[in-house]
Amino acid sequence: MKLKPNADILEMLEGYEKIVLFGDSGCAQLCDVGGILQLEAMEDFLIQNNKKVLGYVFVEGGLCDIHATTLEINDNMNMLREADAFLIQACGVATQVVTDLIPEKESFPAVDSIFLGVMPERFVHHETCVMCGECVLHLTAGICPIARCAKGMLNGPCGGSMDGKCERDGETDCVWQLIYNRLQSLGKLDNIRRIWGIRDRSLSHSPRTIIHEDF
Amino acid sequence: MTCEVAPPHGADHTLIEERIRLVKDYCDAINITDNVRGIPTMDSGICAHFILKTGAEPIMQMSARDRNRVLYESQLYGAYALGIRNIVFITGDHSLLGTHPQTKTVFDLDSVQAIQLAKHLMGGTDLSGAELEGVPEFFLGATFNPFADPLELQAWRVEKKRDAGAKFFQTQAIYDLERFQIFMTKVRPLNVKVLAGIIPLRSKKMAQFMRTRIPGMRIPDEVVSRLEKAGAGLESKEKKAAICAEGLLIAEETINAVRNIQGVHGVHIMSVGWEESIPGLVEACNLYPRPILR
Ligand code: SF4
Ligand code: SF4
Repeated sequence: MKLKPNADILEMLEGYEKIVLFGDSGCAQLCDVGGILQLEAMEDFLIQNNKKVLGYVFVEGGLCDIHATTLEINDNMNMLREADAFLIQACGVATQVVTDLIPEKESFPAVDSIFLGVMPERFVHHETCVMCGECVLHLTAGICPIARCAKGMLNGPCGGSMDGKCERDGETDCVWQLIYNRLQSLGKLDNIRRIWGIRDRSLSHSPRTIIHEDF
Repeated sequence: MTCEVAPPHGADHTLIEERIRLVKDYCDAINITDNVRGIPTMDSGICAHFILKTGAEPIMQMSARDRNRVLYESQLYGAYALGIRNIVFITGDHSLLGTHPQTKTVFDLDSVQAIQLAKHLMGGTDLSGAELEGVPEFFLGATFNPFADPLELQAWRVEKKRDAGAKFFQTQAIYDLERFQIFMTKVRPLNVKVLAGIIPLRSKKMAQFMRTRIPGMRIPDEVVSRLEKAGAGLESKEKKAAICAEGLLIAEETINAVRNIQGVHGVHIMSVGWEESIPGLVEACNLYPRPILR
């Protein structure tokens, strides 16, 4: 996730004066977009630009947890009633959760949600999964060819893989080289020797819904 | 002997005919590229149709970058209806390397799966199992890059493409004969037809561009320094002519060398905009006139 440029945020808040900021201690904080620090910085920025920030709704865990968010909202009802709009410093799911919970007011995204990945060190994020709907990691030594190959190839690598790097930019590792190396060390190269057949892409058609059976 | 011609970067089909006329008597079939690096050019199937009209034999390239399985099927039916019989399936260089980096790439299939799909259609049904109103029959081809890594996996991919239905292979441009020889030891047992790729170099700048901007190219330093030396001490036109001549000489030497490598059945010259070079090069290699086919 990345905070949107300041100008974009001001543009979407045009005509709205009293704002409440939303953040959480989960992904939003980990990604440095909606932790307390970023909410404070956003408050300063908005005040400089003649807005009023009435306060924060900060959820321990994730704004995607509808129950936790409902509790926080109930605790802050008076402030929320007074607000003109909400600015959500978390992923697109969070903005929609708040939209659903308080439909009479508009919730705006302060963030561009970009990908699902890992954070090997603070401020550094790599994409590692695109939620393709049918995980193949058991065959590819725990390394995802769909999210991490620039062409999402299953019968990789393409002819642009050189010296371990991807043709796309020469800096990103070619994931098929990584898969090859690791399968080799596991003695499981046979996993990728056979042709990987045409994939059922309907599994990744949005919007998707899952209903688990009760247990 | 096959060669490759680029489609027009616009709507003027007479350019295809012009380019084809230059090379048509010097090869047996002509590849038409498919939006290389995502730079939009005239549709390869439509160009192939114009190639047929000149009396030459087209090889239509189809990349996985810009089409999903639905479009593959649809275009393959159309290609067959137009009389196109040879198709080469490629994955396609990433569009981030071209002029339209903002586009959405498709890659519904990869090149191995695209060959599987074409082979499947030749069996008389589409992917859903529905019977076809007219069954296409193609001569399926593919590419391989002897210089890409990891070598073992790249060789397995040749095998996969063969097993999927590819009957012939055209390679990435060869400048590094040593690595090509090593790769061919892996490909030889697969019993496939291989056309060794050649791109005549016409400037040092072009060599540098290919090294840095074209995926999967290996151009040894000595090739670049040969071009440099050829032009040394000369000015403008003469310098350019000397470098071009050296580029052609390198291409000629490479052609002669690959013809002696077991498992190589032919040569594939990619003109990359220098179609004029092809006749002289083919003649210099004593590969002209071409045998009469059919
Ligand atoms: S295969 Fe890759 S994209 Fe698909 S679910 Fe597994 S990790 Fe995610
Ligand atoms: S170089 Fe490797 S990671 Fe990059 S597109 Fe090709 S196979 Fe995928």
